[in-house]
Amino acid sequence: MKGEMSIIVKTITKLIYGFIMVYGFYVIVHGHLTPGGGFQGGAIVASAFALLVVTYGNQGVNNYLKKDVFSLVESTGLVLFIAFAFFGLGVTFFYNFLANSGGLFGNPAIIGVNPGDLNTGGTVPIMNIAVGLEVLAALTVIILTMSAASEITKEKEN
Amino acid sequence: MKKSIFGIALIFVLAFMILAAFDMRPFGEPTVSEMDDYYIQNAQAETGANNVVTSIVFDYRGFDTLGEATVLFTAVLGITALFREVVR
Amino acid sequence: MSPMVAFVHIAVLVMMIIAAFLAVILKNLLSAVIALSAASLLLSLEFYLLHAPDVAIAEAGIGAALTMAIFIFAIRATKK
Repeated sequence: MKGEMSIIVKTITKLIYGFIMVYGFYVIVHGHLTPGGGFQGGAIVASAFALLVVTYGNQGVNNYLKKDVFSLVESTGLVLFIAFAFFGLGVTFFYNFLANSGGLFGNPAIIGVNPGDLNTGGTVPIMNIAVGLEVLAALTVIILTMSAASEITKEKEN
Repeated sequence: MKKSIFGIALIFVLAFMILAAFDMRPFGEPTVSEMDDYYIQNAQAETGANNVVTSIVFDYRGFDTLGEATVLFTAVLGITALFREVVR
Repeated sequence: MSPMVAFVHIAVLVMMIIAAFLAVILKNLLSAVIALSAASLLLSLEFYLLHAPDVAIAEAGIGAALTMAIFIFAIRATKK
């Protein structure tokens, strides 16, 4: 199949793309504790998808990576983000109504330098996940569209 | 002739950049630091997030992130509209 | 800033300039794109040395990986 890369690149891609994705989701979920956040983690996951598209070509990934699914995920992330911004409207737009409340992500943080607890942060982790979904889907849609367009343009010229 | 003009312009720009670099404040000492001190002292107690940068990006300055997400959404919209004939 | 840290800063910046220069003068398009990606990766290393890990992760993800993927699609669409 054309648009593919050599067997060396394929083997290395099979080995590492899962690790890149897991690392990206780690960066998204731990956004309120470690450096990084939704945007950075989403970019890392999208780079794993970009590696797949570059290695196997647009024809090779067409059955597994659907553009419509990623478009839906992108809109879901943006709607989730805006919805959680509106939920704080009892005080102000973007009010952190879950912080220190004791419920979901509501544990109070220990003041000072500490390793951190995943169940803190209020709306910050939820916003991280929403923006992470939005960014990874948006960048993947861009990559898929551009690869399809470049291959089809080349076919037409030949 | 053209190349010498380009060279002279390049030398001028470089000289001004290097002169401006000598005028910069030392690294890590901003002029106005009231807001930074407030964030560093209160962000952990108010938002419960250990990472102060994330608590600024997603809580105190949420509008910035909303704008950034909108920019990305618009970029995808533009690219999909640009390649609508080719990709379907 | 200790002399060791200053030396690492200067080494990273000099390597960045060399990579950017290679990206301009290389004739093979794929090699030029890889040189550009190396410059981007060294820029993210410089951000990390300046204590900005958030920006460093974003730069490594966007500048070094995704931009290079899009450039490779563009190169594949050109004729040899």
